[in-house]
Amino acid sequence: MRSIALLGQPNSGKSTVFNQLTGSRQHVGNWPGKTVEKNEGSYTYNNEKYTVTDLPGSYGLSGNSDEEIITEKFIKSGEADLVCVLVDSSQLERSMYMLADFASMDTPAILILNMMDVANGQGKVIDDKKLSVRLGIPVLPFTAADGRGFDGLKALIEKEINTPHRLITKPEFGAAGINDSNAKYAWISRMLDGVARSSGEDYKITGLDKLLLRPFWGKIMTVLIILVGFIAAMLIMSPFMGIAGMMPKLLGGPIANLLTGINVHPWLVSVFSLLIPNTIYFCISMAAFVFGVNVVFGFLEEIGFLARAAYQFDGPLSKLGLQGKAVAPILMGMGCTIGGASGTRVMDNWGQKMLTMMVVWAVPCASIWSIIPVISGMFFPVWGTALVCIGIIAYIFVLMFIVSKVFGKSLVSEDSRSGMIMELPPYHKAHWKYIIKEAWLKCFDMFKRAIKTVTLVSLVFWAFSFSPSGNIESSLLYKVGTFIEPVTRFFGLGWRTFMAFISAAFAKEAVLGTLNAVFAGQSNVADVAFNATAGSVDTMALSQIMSQTISRAEALAFMFACTFSVPCLMALSTTFKESHSLKWTAKTAGFYIVAALILSCIVYHIAAPFIG
Amino acid sequence: MKLSEMKSNRHGTVRSLGNDERFMNRITSIGLTEGVRFQVVKNDRKMPVLIYVRETLLALNRRDCEKIDVTEAQ
Repeated sequence: MRSIALLGQPNSGKSTVFNQLTGSRQHVGNWPGKTVEKNEGSYTYNNEKYTVTDLPGSYGLSGNSDEEIITEKFIKSGEADLVCVLVDSSQLERSMYMLADFASMDTPAILILNMMDVANGQGKVIDDKKLSVRLGIPVLPFTAADGRGFDGLKALIEKEINTPHRLITKPEFGAAGINDSNAKYAWISRMLDGVARSSGEDYKITGLDKLLLRPFWGKIMTVLIILVGFIAAMLIMSPFMGIAGMMPKLLGGPIANLLTGINVHPWLVSVFSLLIPNTIYFCISMAAFVFGVNVVFGFLEEIGFLARAAYQFDGPLSKLGLQGKAVAPILMGMGCTIGGASGTRVMDNWGQKMLTMMVVWAVPCASIWSIIPVISGMFFPVWGTALVCIGIIAYIFVLMFIVSKVFGKSLVSEDSRSGMIMELPPYHKAHWKYIIKEAWLKCFDMFKRAIKTVTLVSLVFWAFSFSPSGNIESSLLYKVGTFIEPVTRFFGLGWRTFMAFISAAFAKEAVLGTLNAVFAGQSNVADVAFNATAGSVDTMALSQIMSQTISRAEALAFMFACTFSVPCLMALSTTFKESHSLKWTAKTAGFYIVAALILSCIVYHIAAPFIG
Repeated sequence: MKLSEMKSNRHGTVRSLGNDERFMNRITSIGLTEGVRFQVVKNDRKMPVLIYVRETLLALNRRDCEKIDVTEAQ
C-alpha cells in the first residue's frame, strides 16, 4: 500500500482535492493525544491502493499550534511516500509560503497549482515548466473544484512514487535565523522571478464589496441574504421531507395488519409498524435539513460571501472571545444546529471551535420556531405570542454572553486569543457539482449516525411510554414522571411538561407528539407520540386540554426551557464528532440542561403572580 | 504610526509587527512581513482593517492592527 499526504494553507482547496480523490472512502479520527482531527481516505489506481492523509490546515510550519506540530512530525516521520503541496495560483506568492516552510524537510513532493481557473480569470499567466525546473519537483496546473484532471493527478502520483523527486532548493536563512520569514519570501521571489508576474497595481474595491462591506447596511444586507438562503434551503429539502413523511402512513397500516395477521405480540407489532417507520422518516427529514443547509452555505462560502460576513461580524464576536469566522456556524445554527456544529471546522484552533459550538447551541434552530408559535398560540393572543418570540430572541444574546463568560477563559485563554486574520477571496463562480457532492457526503454521514442513535433512543422512549392497557397511567413514563414531580415543580414544570422537556432534548420535532401523548393520554401513549411525529397532531384538541390542565406561567416556562435546552440528540452527537472530546460534549450538555431548568424556574416564578 | 490609524487607499510599509511571537508567526505566514509594502483598502471605525498585500486582500482584527507599526508612503 502507498501513502500520500496533502499539505496546503487554508483556502488552497486542499479539502476539495481530498474529497474528490477519496470520495466516501474516508475515515475521521484523532491524531494521537490531540484533539486535532485526522482525516484519512483511500483510493485505488491501477490496482494499487493509496491512502491519503489530509494534513491539518495551517499557514505555515513554524510549530505555533498543535496543527503545525502534528503536520511537521508527520512529514518528518516519512510515513508518506509523497507529499502533495497545494497552492492557490491566484495568490501564488503568498501561498508558496507553505512550500518555503516545507522545503527544509527532505521529502519527495509535487506542487499542485490549484485554482488555475481563478488565476486565468484574473489574466495571470504562470510558467509552470520553468518553476518545475527551478524547484526540481513536478508542478501541475490544476482546478480541483471542477472535478476534471484527477486522472492526470493520480497518474502523476503513481509516477512520482516510483521515481521520486525532492526540492533542489530551499530558503537561505541568515545568521541566527534573523527574520526567517523575510528569507522565505526572498526565496519565493527568486523562484517566481520570470515565472509569474504580479501586477503591482493598486487594489480596486469592487462595486459589490462597496455595498456589502459598509459598516451598518452591510450587516443588514448580510442577514437578509442569509434569510433568503434559508428559504432556498427549505425549498431544496421540502420534496425529500414530503416523500419521507408519507412513509409512516403508507407503511404503518400494512405492516400492522400483516404482523397482527400472523399473531405477533402487540409489542412487536407496535415496534415494526410505528417505531421503525417513524424513525426512518425522522432520520430522512433531518438528513434533508442538513443537506439543504449545507448546499446553501457551501454556495455562500464558495462565492466568497461568508468571508465578507466574517468581516462584518468580527467586532461583535470578539466580545464573546470569538472572531469573525464564527459567524458562519452561528448563522447556520439558525437553520439547523447540526449544520452549525459541523460548520465550526473553519475555526483556527480547537478552543475557538469548541466555544463556537457551545455558542451555536444557544441559537434556536428552525424546528423550534415551528413549534413555539403553536404552543404559545394555545395560551396567549397573537400579541402575546409575539412577545414570547421577542423574549426568546433577546435571551439568545444573554445566553451567548453567559456561555462565553463561563467557558471562554478555559477554552480560549487570553494569550491564545487570536483575532481574525483572514483573506477575503475574490468573488468566485460556484462549482455546483462539488457543493452538492460535499453536502451529500455530510448528509449521508449524519443519516448513518442518526439511524443508529435515533433508533436506540426511540426504543428507550417507546419502552417508557408503552402502556399495555392503553391508558397512560400504566406507562413507565407516568410512574417516573409523577414520582419526581415534586422536584420538577420547583423549576416550574409539572410531570407532563417535564417529560416533554426531556423529549425536546432528543428532537424538537418530538415535542408536539409528546405533549399530545401526555395530555390527551387516553389512548396508547406510544401510538400517539410516534404517530404525531409525522405531523398529525390535532392542535385544536390538544390546545383545549393543555390550556385546561396547566397554567400560563408553566406554559411560558416550558417554552423557554425547551428552546434553550440541548438542541437535539444529533446536535449532541455531532458536537462529539467534531470536538473529539467526551468531556467537553458532556460539559456542554450538562450546562445547557441545568441552565434551561434554572431559566424555567426564573421565568415561572416571575410570571406566575402576573399571568397565573 | 499604527496600522489602525491609516486612512483608506493609502500605501505604507510595515516597520514592526510587535514582539508577540505567536502573532508574528501567524501574520507573516499569511503574507505580512516587516518591510513589505501594502495598501489600506478600507478602514472603518470598529471594523477590521482591510489591506492588500502580496496580491491578497486581508481582513485584520482591529486590536491586532494596533500592534503593527507602519510608515505611511508620501
